[in-house]
Parts: sequence; C-alpha cells; structure tokens
Amino acid sequence: MPDRIARVIFGIVFLTVATWMLPSSNWAATLYAKQNDVKVNAEKSPTSAVIATLALGDPVTVLAEEGRLAKVKTATGKTGWVFKFRLTEDKPSMGGGELGLSGLTGRKTIAARESRAGGSIRGLKESTEQYANTKNIKQEHRDAVDRMEAFSIPPNELMQFKKAGNLGEFSGGVQ
Amino acid sequence: MNRFRTVVGLGILCLVFPSMGFSGFLDDLLAPPPKKQSSPQSPAQPQEQPGLLDGLGEAFGVKKKNIDLLKKGTGVVQALEPIGVEEEITLGEAVAVEAFSRFGGEYPNQAWTRYINLVGKTVAELSDRPTLNYHFAILNSEEQNAFAAPGGYIFITVGLLKTLKNEAELAGVLAHEIAHVTKQHMLDTIRRGAILGSVSELTLTAMKQDPAMFSSVIDEMTDLLFTKGLDKDKEFEADVVGVEYAYRAGYNPQGLRDYLQVLAKEEGHVESKFFTTHPSTSVRISKIDTLLMDYSDIKNLPFLTERFHQYVKAG
Repeated sequence: MPDRIARVIFGIVFLTVATWMLPSSNWAATLYAKQNDVKVNAEKSPTSAVIATLALGDPVTVLAEEGRLAKVKTATGKTGWVFKFRLTEDKPSMGGGELGLSGLTGRKTIAARESRAGGSIRGLKESTEQYANTKNIKQEHRDAVDRMEAFSIPPNELMQFKKAGNLGEFSGGVQ
Repeated sequence: MNRFRTVVGLGILCLVFPSMGFSGFLDDLLAPPPKKQSSPQSPAQPQEQPGLLDGLGEAFGVKKKNIDLLKKGTGVVQALEPIGVEEEITLGEAVAVEAFSRFGGEYPNQAWTRYINLVGKTVAELSDRPTLNYHFAILNSEEQNAFAAPGGYIFITVGLLKTLKNEAELAGVLAHEIAHVTKQHMLDTIRRGAILGSVSELTLTAMKQDPAMFSSVIDEMTDLLFTKGLDKDKEFEADVVGVEYAYRAGYNPQGLRDYLQVLAKEEGHVESKFFTTHPSTSVRISKIDTLLMDYSDIKNLPFLTERFHQYVKAG
C-alpha cells in the first residue's frame, strides 16, 4: 500500500518539477491596455470590425503574437487582435512608477487632467504669467504657447494620416 | 519506509515551489538575446550613473560607503516628494515661453505646424506616456536644434526642419525629444539640484506663493536646456528610447541616425548650441548603429520621403 501511495506521489512530483522547469513563455501572459480606446479587432486588419474597446488598465490574455499584433482574449471572453504596442506588461496602477500616481482610478483622473489643454485658447497659468512679467517676455511669445496648447488634431485626421503612411496600427504590412 | 518518507518530502516541496514562482526555472538559459522590438514592454533602464555626490565625495575624501548612505537618504527625500503631472506641466509651460522668446518666436506656417503635430502625435501615442497631451511647435530660428520641456512641450527649429530629408528623420528627432519627456530627464536633473540647493518642494502652491523660487527653478531649467545640456547619459538614453518609439510608430528607426550623419558634417565648422548641449555626434551615431542591429524587421519600414516633400519642401 505505501508503495502505491509512493508511486502516486512520485508522479505528482515528476509532473510538478517538469512544469516548473518549462519556460514561462509557455503560459498565457496577461498584458494591460496602456491608454483608453484600445481597439480589439475581429481580424488582423485594423479596419476589420471592432469587437471590444479597452480602457486604460484593462487586462487581456495574450494567446499568440504575430509581428506587431497580439491575439488576445478580453476579460469578457472576446477574442481578437490588438496592435501590441498599445499594451504593457506593467499594470498601470497606483504608483505606475514614473509619475508617482497611486492607482488606476487616480491614473484615469490624471489622464483626463493631462488632456485638458486640447481645446480652445484659455490663457496661461498664473505662475507662467508672473514669470513672463518678471522676465519682460513679449506678449507674442506668451500667445505662441497658448496657441501651441490649444492646437489639436481630430482623431479621424490622425487615423487617416497613419493609414496613408502605413504607420501605427497600419504598420509592418498589416492592412 | 525511508523511500516513502523521501517521496512524501518531495511532495511537500512541490506544494512550496509554486508559491516561489511557478514556472520559468530555465527561462534565463533558454531566453535568446533580448530583442527590443519583440515585446511591448519599455526599453531597458540605464544603470545608475555616478552623480554629483560621487564626485564631491571623492574630491573631499569621503568613503564610498558614506557617500552611498547619503545618496540613500537623498533618494528617500526624492521618493517622498515626487513632482506631479500638474507641477510638471506648470514648469514646462514657463520653459516654453522662454523657448519662443530666445529662439525667434513662433514660425508662422500653419501647414508645417500641423504636419509636425501629426508626426509627433503618431510617435507620442505609442510612447511610455501615451496619456500625456504633447504639443509640438516650430521655432523661427535658422540654427539647427530641438528641445523638450517637461510636460510634453516639444520644439524644433525651422533650420533643423529644412535640413531633414524625410518623415522618418523628423519622427526620429521628435521621438528623441519625446523620450526626454517620458523619462523625465529634466525633472530628474532639477529634482536633484533642488534638493541639494535647499528648495524642498515643487508643489503648485509653492510655485504660486514663491515666484522667486519658481523663477530660479525655470532659470536653472532653461540654462540646462539652452546652454549646458543634460547629462550625456540622458542624451544617449533618449537616443535608445527614441529609436524604439519611432520603430513602434512604424517609421524606419534609422531616421535619427541619418539626420545625425548630416549634422556630423557640420560639427566643428558650424556654431550651434546643439553641439555644446549634446554628446559627440559621431559617438551617438556609432551607438545607434549598434542598437539598430537588434532590430531585425525594419528593412521594409518607410522613410516617407515623398510625403515629407509634399508637406515641407513644397511649403
């Protein structure tokens, strides 16, 4: 009887050690969307049907990698293709490292604040105006920064620009 | 019975292994040399560079152990007081005003401005800080130069823009500047300086309430940006990261190298702040050449020469 138990345990040991020695790449990896509006397409083509849209920090399981694309499964179970450079291995979390943030919710708040300068001219910050007054910087140069901040590109125009140049999600022969 | 005990012991070990990192024991042995283009993760971080404390410490005969302790203490203070995004944008906006003031103001060509924003945003949205709102502008100066202020304010002189031959070169130059922003090179330099110089905090409140302190920080930043230049290792890192960003965006990542090749011919003959604020151009080219060897699938990535001429040369 002990021999039989020993054989079973030996089998478990063997399988566990074998599994332990496998390269981690043999396991499906979880990656995260590193920005909002990351499209998951039904086919490899970026113009194919969008089956899901990921928000910043949404996890996906990578099933395969092909060139610049990753075949992924979303948290809701949908399978499709994503431009892999829109994904990151590090979960955008509180602290996210570089900016000293403290969480996904916080990150979204910051992202919204970071984007706030995309609209119409709204004047410079009080500290900048104070600085410019102290240094006698001409109004035209202050206005130039204001225009720089207010300038925006409509998403559709940027998409057409990338498509025409085979850039971004249209790059590397993926059409 | 002894054999039974041994097998049971191994069984218990099997329960422990998973919690110690289940798989990948042979990863290091099986892994091929890293190829930056094959993974969506960030480019490698540089090793820690010797800083001011190392130099001063050695000069005064302080033991390395004590320097390390001091550096550790400084690191703690830095970790406690990170410069937030709003603060970063506030600093960058003031530096941007100085950039226009010192380099001939805004170059008045809306079509070109639109074009550099299209190229810049194509690269920036695949950077490691894609949620930041980047702004790109052309400075009305014939001197060849490009700058990045914190918070995503990026400048290129019209002199540099006219020298470029294709869109991949433009993307390469802008990607290098975007890398300075994503890696927070300027902030990192200032934070060290501010702590050593007794400026203890760079909060929005402090900046508003103490205009003299704010002004001195901006002076330090503009001095670094326009006169002294950043640490050489930060420039090399911006080359490495910039090449990666241009590659991710789908441009031929050789663009920056090709532009530097043109610039190298002027080094020593033409007076430009670019040469005093950046490391040797030939060394940069050499390092990028080595780096590009790791990118195996770039042969068919575009330079977009024709489109560049349509936008810039025709304008």
